[in-house]
Amino acid sequence: MAQQTDSVKTLDTLNTNLSSDIPVIATFKSGLIINGQSNETLHKSDLLVDIAHRFGDIGGANGGVHNFYGLDNSTDILISLKYGITDRFMIGAGRAKGAPNGVNTFQKELYYFSLKYRLLQQTENDHIPIAVTLYGNSVICGMEPLDLATSDANFQKFGERMSYTLQAIVARKFSRNFSLSLMPTYVRRNYVSYQDMNDLFALGAGARLKFSKRMAIVADYFHAFRTQESKDYYETAQDFKFYDALGVGLEIETGGHVFNLSFTNSTAILDTQYVPSTSSAWSKGQFRWGFNISRTFTLSKNK
Amino acid sequence: MKKILFIVNLIAFIGAGECLAQGQLVSRNVLLSFFSSAPIEDIKAETKTGYSILDLQTNNIYFKVDIRSFKFRKGLMQEHFNENYMESDKYPYAEFKGKIKEPVDFSKDGTYDVTVIGDLLLHNVKQNYSAKAVLSIKNGNISGSSNFPVKLVDHNIKIPTLLIKNIAEVVQVTVNVTYENTLAKKM
Repeated sequence: MAQQTDSVKTLDTLNTNLSSDIPVIATFKSGLIINGQSNETLHKSDLLVDIAHRFGDIGGANGGVHNFYGLDNSTDILISLKYGITDRFMIGAGRAKGAPNGVNTFQKELYYFSLKYRLLQQTENDHIPIAVTLYGNSVICGMEPLDLATSDANFQKFGERMSYTLQAIVARKFSRNFSLSLMPTYVRRNYVSYQDMNDLFALGAGARLKFSKRMAIVADYFHAFRTQESKDYYETAQDFKFYDALGVGLEIETGGHVFNLSFTNSTAILDTQYVPSTSSAWSKGQFRWGFNISRTFTLSKNK
Repeated sequence: MKKILFIVNLIAFIGAGECLAQGQLVSRNVLLSFFSSAPIEDIKAETKTGYSILDLQTNNIYFKVDIRSFKFRKGLMQEHFNENYMESDKYPYAEFKGKIKEPVDFSKDGTYDVTVIGDLLLHNVKQNYSAKAVLSIKNGNISGSSNFPVKLVDHNIKIPTLLIKNIAEVVQVTVNVTYENTLAKKM
């Protein structure tokens, strides 16, 4: 009898150890949800070449058939390289056109570099129930200083060209079909327009819902905690309103490659612009098609 | 009373850690690998976390492995393997229940060529296999190895036509197992 329970116990331990701490994969399908970062990083020795594009407004005053529903324009373009140093740590660098809205931000020609570190990986046995990834970037504005004292591009010193993002991505894959993430975010801009905020906190949320074997809906949303004072100033003095960035996309898996069809109201691609300075609204038709063309190269040698 | 209970528990615990039933041996680090050779690329993956139980009296042999523990050279391959081919979130384990066909005297040192027959449950499809294996016994330490082909269609694992040149239709599986020598420890 004792022998019997022992063997059951042993089998239990064997079975538990079998799946101990296997990390959950594919919480999201890439490092970006739409605008924001996901918890995913590149694998070791993988190089990602990424070209991201945001077209013009589909509807509203600047959209419609005469602008081919936005396809005649590009609000932002980003070319970047990312590299996995380890399976948990990656670096990136790139250059964006920048998307100045002409009221609270005039900055364009943006160079950036970024670090991303997977602090915690969710495990299949829920020993670690959530994934936590840390992300940070530094953005340098390369444009000629603008001769407009109230703008954020009237640079006097080099340091004024810098802005930064710090972010924690807390994610959980609840089931094979559903993942959710929260992204507390801090954006620091060394130089801002009159009545804008140098230090801005924001909260992002992202989700992925797989509804068929090959298709999923992804979305992300960022709300910036801008002071009422700042909002009031822009609304009364400049007749200008800030909006939260909302991206929605359809992911289609085609045996290895993921095709992404996404739409967002934000015009900019870099966090330091779309988090604090989104001024276009879904409700006014001011949303656009966005796409990323990316290709991963595995640089590790054959073993 | 508490002390006695504690000692009883302790004995039970030590016993449980080492053997299952009389004459059953365990291996917790079964080395499993597979190799796919196709015109465009060769793919290899390996895991060391499977376990096996060998019953010395009945010649029954059992293997179990978590599909998600297989490691690939390319991380992306590992993702595709799990998500698109093995669907390991639905079917996380592979299991083999079988028997060593020939009688083996496990107490005698030597190398034995044997045949292992049994059912492999992979991707939720059970198939009967018969594979040649080599058993070697040295000072009571039992280890074994085998190499056999697995046809992907047999287990309902589909390769997209686009990738037919990247993935072989028949994959070579290698097993290496060394059992923990509980008999030696007890002496």
